[in-house]
Amino acid sequence: MAYVPEGILCSKSHEWILDEGEVFTIGLTDYAVEQLGDIVFVELPEVGAEFQKDETFATVESVKAASEIYMPAGGKIVEVNEELINSPEKLNEDVWGSWLVKVDCSNWGEDSIGLMEYEDYKESVS
Amino acid sequence: MGKRSFLYEEQENMKAKIVPFAGWDMPVQYSGIIDEHNTVRSALGLFDVSHMGEVFVTGSDALDFLQSIVPQDVSKLTDSRAVYCQLTNKKGGIIDDLIIYKLKDENYLLIVNASRIDVDVNWITLNSLNYDVKIENASHNYSLLALQGPNASALIEKLGCARDIQPEYFSIQPATIAGIDLMLSRTGYTGEDGFELMVENKYVVQLWKTLLREGKELGIKPIGLGARDTLRLEVALPLWGNDIDEDTTPVEAGLTWSVAKDKKENYNGKDVIMGQIAGTIPLRKKLVGFEMIDKAIPRHEYEVYYEGNKVGVVTSGAPAPSKGSNIGLAHIYLDDNSIFLNKTIGINIDIMVRNKLYKAQIVKKPFVQKKNSVKN
Repeated sequence: MAYVPEGILCSKSHEWILDEGEVFTIGLTDYAVEQLGDIVFVELPEVGAEFQKDETFATVESVKAASEIYMPAGGKIVEVNEELINSPEKLNEDVWGSWLVKVDCSNWGEDSIGLMEYEDYKESVS
Repeated sequence: MGKRSFLYEEQENMKAKIVPFAGWDMPVQYSGIIDEHNTVRSALGLFDVSHMGEVFVTGSDALDFLQSIVPQDVSKLTDSRAVYCQLTNKKGGIIDDLIIYKLKDENYLLIVNASRIDVDVNWITLNSLNYDVKIENASHNYSLLALQGPNASALIEKLGCARDIQPEYFSIQPATIAGIDLMLSRTGYTGEDGFELMVENKYVVQLWKTLLREGKELGIKPIGLGARDTLRLEVALPLWGNDIDEDTTPVEAGLTWSVAKDKKENYNGKDVIMGQIAGTIPLRKKLVGFEMIDKAIPRHEYEVYYEGNKVGVVTSGAPAPSKGSNIGLAHIYLDDNSIFLNKTIGINIDIMVRNKLYKAQIVKKPFVQKKNSVKN
């Protein structure tokens, strides 16, 4: 996926989230991936685990450092992108296609407050 | 904002990612750490290491003085030869590690770590009061480039210094490279063959551009500090502040090979260091190399466990691109009945990563064979 998915919202901590109707898809922004450099390890949560907004749910490691990834909105993990476990470099190759988890968001109305549209997010990090 | 090398603008124009390091703003990567790492192992890389310190020690007592501050035997150096050693404190701890180059009698050059320049110069000066020596911190006058990889010698030859007159491993000599006068040494921090080029600041931009242009057909790329770290870790070269520090002796750091056993002169910490070598003073810790068995990346300061007990701490850790595994160095704390007192290779340990233990095994250092002509 070469293009930014339409309708994503971004957090200050560089995650994106997309409302896909049944579930929400969460990933890392292009800016975050570019800042991390070569991604060599991705640790994802168990399906069924529940997290609050802003809670750490995953870890992404570049050659140099480990970075915690935070929930842009609270909810229950319904699917994880297993492909990234064995091929973490996919995040560098196709950032928008390399989602991390799909989530059943429990409190979207409140949790979505403060998330930015992509254009505004891009401006905030430039 | 940190200090900037004279190449800062060049690096910015090349889209380097620049980060603070030891008080400087230095490039951590250009094309990507893994690509840069592999480029140095297979072809040629150019590093800006201008943040490192250059200190001249000159005068009629220069040799006697240097003998009093490092465990190596500096008297064995002939003109233009160099030696790796440590600046030790009274307890044998490592204030810094450095290379001493003998330019000629009464004339030595010390290349020291960027983060330690001020501490080193203060310590050296304080120790020199009874000697007829001049200590000159010339760090601000010189830029330093490292040209590392199997094609390094070919590029130096192409730029005017034929192979048969190039300095040998751990030697330094004046040279004219692409018309620029500089000091050329056969040293580095990657385990590959290569050179370090010490040049007056005003020539470094021209030198950098010429090396990159003329090295193109030899596969040259600019390399950042990120790959410098993975390259040095694979060949288990210690990093001050991680693997060695003021509370670790050369013996505890596995650097006994760089301590002169038969040196007569006294130096700071000699009683502790020689006592540890003789076995009369116990080692408090031991630096070991390990490779992860489980899938996890060890990092600086992660805890090391053995059979459920904490036994040490990771000092450096990273993925090893040349091995395809995750590796690290660790301090293992020793006591009278520690299983780690004798041979440690093959012992299974666990590394605590985000509150979970992951299996690792102590292995032989270096992790990757050095390809320069190491004599130790």
